[in-house]
Amino acid sequence: MSRESLLSYTLTARYGDAVVLRGVSGTLARGEIAALVGLSGSGKSTMALALQRLLQYRGGVAEGSIVLEGTELMGLSGRGMRVVRGRRIGYVPQSPGLALNPKVRVRTLLQETWRAHEDRRMEPGFAENVLGRVQLPGDREFLDRHAGELSTGQGQRLLIALAILHGPSLLIADEPTSALDAITQAAVLRLFADLNRESGTAILFISHDLLSVAGIAHRVDILHEGTVVESGPPTKIFGEPEHPFTRALVEAMPRRP
Amino acid sequence: MWKRLALIFLLLVGTSALLSPVIAPFSYSEQFRDSANAPPGGKFLLGTDDMGRDRLSRLLYATAVSAVLAPAAAALSVLLALLACAFPGLVVGGLTTICLSIPWIFLFIILRAELPLNTDPSISVLLTFALMGVAGWAGPARVFSGSIREMMESGWMLQARSAGIAGWRIGLVYAWPHLRSVALAQFRVLAPVYILAEASLGLLGLGVAEPMPSWGNLLRDLQHPDMVRQNPAILAPLLLLMLCLLAIEAVAVKTHEKEVFR
Amino acid sequence: MKSLIAGLLVALSALAASPSELHFALHGDPRTFDPLHVEDSNSEIVRYITAGVLLRVNRVTDQLQPELAESWKILDGGKAITFRLRAGLKFSDGTPLTSADVARTIQKALDPKENSPAGGTLKGAQGAPEIVVGGPRDITIRYAAPKPSIDRIFDSLGIGPEGNAKMPATAGPYFVAEFRPGLSLQLKRNPNYWKRDGSGRQLPYIDSIRIDIQGNRDIELTRFLRGELHLIHKIDAESFDRVVREKPGSARNGGASLDSEFLWFNQAPAKQVPEWKRKWFQSSAFRHGVSQAIHRNDLAALNYKGHAHPAAGPISTANRTWFNAELKPLPANPANAAKLFAQDGFQLKDGVLRDRDGHAVEFSLVTNAGNRIREKAAALIQDDLKKVGIKVNIVTLDIGSLLERIRKTMDYEAALLGFTNVDSDPMEQMNVWLSSGAEHAWWPSQKTPATPWESRLDALVMEQSTAISMAVRKKAAVEIQRIAVAEEPIIYLVNPDYLVAVSPAVKGFQIAVAPPQVFWNIEWLKLE
Repeated sequence: MSRESLLSYTLTARYGDAVVLRGVSGTLARGEIAALVGLSGSGKSTMALALQRLLQYRGGVAEGSIVLEGTELMGLSGRGMRVVRGRRIGYVPQSPGLALNPKVRVRTLLQETWRAHEDRRMEPGFAENVLGRVQLPGDREFLDRHAGELSTGQGQRLLIALAILHGPSLLIADEPTSALDAITQAAVLRLFADLNRESGTAILFISHDLLSVAGIAHRVDILHEGTVVESGPPTKIFGEPEHPFTRALVEAMPRRP
Repeated sequence: MWKRLALIFLLLVGTSALLSPVIAPFSYSEQFRDSANAPPGGKFLLGTDDMGRDRLSRLLYATAVSAVLAPAAAALSVLLALLACAFPGLVVGGLTTICLSIPWIFLFIILRAELPLNTDPSISVLLTFALMGVAGWAGPARVFSGSIREMMESGWMLQARSAGIAGWRIGLVYAWPHLRSVALAQFRVLAPVYILAEASLGLLGLGVAEPMPSWGNLLRDLQHPDMVRQNPAILAPLLLLMLCLLAIEAVAVKTHEKEVFR
Repeated sequence: MKSLIAGLLVALSALAASPSELHFALHGDPRTFDPLHVEDSNSEIVRYITAGVLLRVNRVTDQLQPELAESWKILDGGKAITFRLRAGLKFSDGTPLTSADVARTIQKALDPKENSPAGGTLKGAQGAPEIVVGGPRDITIRYAAPKPSIDRIFDSLGIGPEGNAKMPATAGPYFVAEFRPGLSLQLKRNPNYWKRDGSGRQLPYIDSIRIDIQGNRDIELTRFLRGELHLIHKIDAESFDRVVREKPGSARNGGASLDSEFLWFNQAPAKQVPEWKRKWFQSSAFRHGVSQAIHRNDLAALNYKGHAHPAAGPISTANRTWFNAELKPLPANPANAAKLFAQDGFQLKDGVLRDRDGHAVEFSLVTNAGNRIREKAAALIQDDLKKVGIKVNIVTLDIGSLLERIRKTMDYEAALLGFTNVDSDPMEQMNVWLSSGAEHAWWPSQKTPATPWESRLDALVMEQSTAISMAVRKKAAVEIQRIAVAEEPIIYLVNPDYLVAVSPAVKGFQIAVAPPQVFWNIEWLKLE
């Protein structure tokens, strides 16, 4: 792969005395879909937050280096970081039930997300267009709904819409499908693949489910006990896993009868 | 239906209270000494008290004092609490704990004692309620700070941050709808508490002083329950108080429900 | 048959001997049972019922009657008094009571280390008296100079036994058998009490007294109305009316009490009071004007539900011994009030009274918070004075800051308060009338009398309290009252009635105005 490098990082993270990430380093090329797979508690979500320098809001501390498109994010001020978030890095959190403010209307969520980085007003039809890309209706009735009144699937799509509103070059998705039923799950995965293909957005896909990411990821990193123990294209991970943990993970996958 | 009825009732009480100087048949302090303890009817619709003062007029003025000033004080407390929460350090820093542990009754004693003796009674009443409002900030502030802490840890707060939305916008657009219902609930709790607090301050002689009436000092007539048999009209302030509390509750609850189950 | 009669006899005798118990309540714990250290009213009641005294002031006739002393004599023109004790006196525990006990009690009271309030009463103008024990039943107390009321002071000296027991043996009708702090007090009859009735039966009639500690007067009233208490010895007008309605036979009005309600103006040179206001307050015409504008009858009728009498002056009309009978309660006369104000240069314009310099007459009236009757009295006075063009601002203060203002900082204009008199002798009010007195309300602790009449009052007060001749003392007291009314530094309003609730089951009581009003003759009370 000789694609241009988008992101490279080396991260150590801890909550109080408990170290969760031990010098995890990695890179992501433009337009690449990388999956970070690990068991729950292996530091996946910490990774997602640390990359956006949001870990302090969960009581954690992250150290190391995050270089995004040639900029060292660790050196940025709070204000500087705010400009990066949402504009250059989009974030799709897990469980829309918690991640969407139930008392705020869809319209307001879109508008506020827009206003965070743009002084001019949203062009007419823009919101409908974005919603359309995540297969949500853009009509007035829907825009007037409170986020608390959406179904989980709709909520997850809306979270994606909010994350891609400013066309970020990197999308971090933290278990975006774990709360969904199998059919919706497949649709959302397809959506990520489409986004990647159409806009060239690089995606860091964080999941505990090796199988579900295998279909869309160009590369899979296996996270175990705070470090990446193995990295490679899905075919290699599935075909010839090296690390004992990877092997255990692959063997535990359900097989077709 | 009930909500509308309650609203109309509250409006009616409010306007008649504010218009009491115009619509009250007599001044609240005018003494008809020959007609002391008169039964309801005739010249005095609700009868007179033991000083020969018209109970209806006193009730109207008392409503202006209690039903208007107590909610105002409650609103002041809630407002101050919200302002205090804009400086979270203060709240988390234990100031609320200190304020909640101060025996505020002494402040009222000091206020009474330090006010110039010839202060106009209406000003001292206003100050009493203002002090009540100021003194009461810590309770709601603690509730607000609890709910803010909860919000800080919420998923949607993190999502908003990850979208790069500025802190003040998060506060205004995302957090306020939550705080608003907490604030409304606090107001609903505090308003009746202040009405009753004035009544108990009145028992200590620290609330609204003679001859000015308030629900509190009208309720003092009920200390002698056998008086009720003589003139049931002395129950009127109690009835009005209860109806107002019920009405406030009805209006507030319906509004709240509507918000949640749209 | 024989056994039946025998059984009947046993039953009858049991019935006759069924112990009677009087039941009432105190509003707080007595702080002490030592008769020499009584300072609170609860302890005072217990002391009165339990401690034996040499002689007693009959609360109805105001005359002295013998108790532990069967006779006494005043000697040397009032310098000494000699007592002869009854034969065979014993304390409740059986130890004999002799003149040695009396001597020891007096010495203990006078001992500065004891800091006993009784000692203050016993001390003479030139220090402690000399005590001479003439025999087991004879004792003489001798002062260096004549001691006024040398006999009456022994009405409150409880003779105690040797030692410092917490609940000492007593020589009065009862002794304290059990005390449960905060709950109750059990008094039992003194088996060695000397007094007998005409038929030779030993007193007291009632075997025991159970006193509940009940701070809440509403509960006390409810319990009385339910028949759980036999009496409430002092009750307010509103509660009294409730007793009248619910238990008509139990409500007793003892007539005007010795207590009085009054208001006064601050005449002291305090910088907080503007010079021009002080000029009004120091003018007797202004004070008379205010006094005549007030409807005392309405105060009595409305605030006290008719259970009060308009006051005529500093001494209650009920005090037959000392009252100046020439004084009459002042009827309200607003027209005359206006005349008095006009004489002093005040003018009434558009309903507002103004002084010579055009200042509108307005003053604040402080009173203690929480006293409903007084608060409403203030409202009534406010209304009365409004009609003569004076604006009154009522300020209710907690008792602490009120006393601070009227005694120390003098930061007030007028005050409305009451005074509870426990003794009929006006000597008790000495501190009020003496210009150097701390309770000289309108201008306390003056170095020299501010006015000629205050200087005259000083002389009269000294005469009243030190003269030995009752006639001289009465004459001085009458003159004090005359001046007090003529100058009116204190505007007396009403004497509240002494109101009491007593169950019809209690027989033999005589209501008196001096405390302890309803059970001053407790040994004679019977229960039916």
